[in-house]
Amino acid sequence: MIGEIPTLVFRSAAGAVLIGLLAGLISVFIIRIKLSSMGFCMSHAAFAGAALGVGLSMNPFTMALAFSLATASLIGPASDKAKIHPDLITSIAFPLNMALAFIFLTLTPGVVRFTSEVTSILWGSVLSVGFQDLVYLAVLLAASAVMVVLFWKELFAIMFSRRMAEADGINTKPFIYAILFAIGIIVTFSLKLVGGLLVFALLFNPAATALQFSYDIRKVAMVSPLIGAASCLSGLFLSFALNWPAGACIVLASTLGFALSVALSPKRRIGK
Amino acid sequence: MSAILLKDVSTTYQGEKKPAIHDINLTVETGEFLCVVGPNGAGKTTLLETICGCLKPVKGEVKVLGFNMASDGVKVRRKIGYTPQDFMVKPDEPYKALDVVLMGRFGKIGLLRGVSREDVEKALKVMEMLEIRGLAGKPVGKLSGGQQQKVMIARALAKEPEILLLDEPLSNLDYDSRTKISELLGEICRRQRITTLVVAHNPEHLLQLCQRIIVVSEGKIIADISGGELEREEAVRALIPGLKVGLR
Repeated sequence: MIGEIPTLVFRSAAGAVLIGLLAGLISVFIIRIKLSSMGFCMSHAAFAGAALGVGLSMNPFTMALAFSLATASLIGPASDKAKIHPDLITSIAFPLNMALAFIFLTLTPGVVRFTSEVTSILWGSVLSVGFQDLVYLAVLLAASAVMVVLFWKELFAIMFSRRMAEADGINTKPFIYAILFAIGIIVTFSLKLVGGLLVFALLFNPAATALQFSYDIRKVAMVSPLIGAASCLSGLFLSFALNWPAGACIVLASTLGFALSVALSPKRRIGK
Repeated sequence: MSAILLKDVSTTYQGEKKPAIHDINLTVETGEFLCVVGPNGAGKTTLLETICGCLKPVKGEVKVLGFNMASDGVKVRRKIGYTPQDFMVKPDEPYKALDVVLMGRFGKIGLLRGVSREDVEKALKVMEMLEIRGLAGKPVGKLSGGQQQKVMIARALAKEPEILLLDEPLSNLDYDSRTKISELLGEICRRQRITTLVVAHNPEHLLQLCQRIIVVSEGKIIADISGGELEREEAVRALIPGLKVGLR
């Protein structure tokens, strides 16, 4: 048991860093393309899927991935076809996902209902990050970084203004849909460490923090993943030190980082 | 082949019964400089956005450079320089003025190809012409309304477009800048044979540059005026009393 502790700490720390880097990277696109409500909705879709997985005695994270990807594939086209603002669709989908999650948990046979599996979906658990997850996260991070580098020019223009990017002859739809799918996958993997109720904080805070310090979107895109990793790692160690839930500690660390960035932001200083 | 061809085009906004523009027929030849005038809410911006494919018409056909905008819009827009009306960037946006100008070329550069030194030089050259090269490294949201407007014009020109669609491009500029920019636009468009449509509520600085004036009212083209500057001015004045069309 004692010998397992360093392995557990390593696995959790490596998972925290990888999730932080991924969430920090995607948060730049979420904030700049104003997909915040989508990220919020997707995190709860993953939560509902995981709850169904527990209810059906299936792998909750496979179900979480299926739910968040299904949400991603519905929201983008629904918003484009019906010409409804994505905020409106996600505002409707968010409580629906929460309602589904609680129905699935309620329908789960009594003993299972409040097992560690359910609480780990809600609040995250450092114990749930396995070696296989680390491999998936590393592959996902590498793939995301390659995509961002390859299509930086287009993403850069879309982040400035989707309307102007379209007017310049950039087909924005595939990029927006790809970002939505990436959000879905990242949310699902973050669920293990941070939990379904808190994961969305990781989708906004890193980029919101980085934006306080720079007028250059390239620098924001480089610094935001580092902020995400630092938040996850410091939150994780806070959780070890105080024996508090990992997800809650990560959110505390990331929110504290944002609050400090606002206080120290050169963008907010006058005449200095 | 006409540069722009609209056949019986009507565009209706979502949730509206009445079209914003209806039964528009318009032919613009390559290299022509047109001014679109009319009162507020006449449909001038809708007309421009329908031509560039930002709005899809509910009826009719829009052809630009021989291509149907309904099927080839994305490809054709790479050859269209467009500046929207009142596009203002918030003060804390993380983009430099040069970034915004350079972005105009992104569609043209194409997928999986990076921005070359030549692209940057072309963007800087246009900024030089518009006297904003000194602002290249400044956050665009920190610039004044007039400076931002010049950045957006530079963005459209940096693309080296075949068609230029400008929606109120001079509205935030001071009198001297309006004169300079309108003369510069006229010179560039003439030299490079760029087909240009400029929407202007008050076209006072553009009248001497344009070869035709399209007057739009209540979603329809009510006049297509060519001829000498004085005749055009008189004709527009007669159609829309109170519209500031001349320098006098």
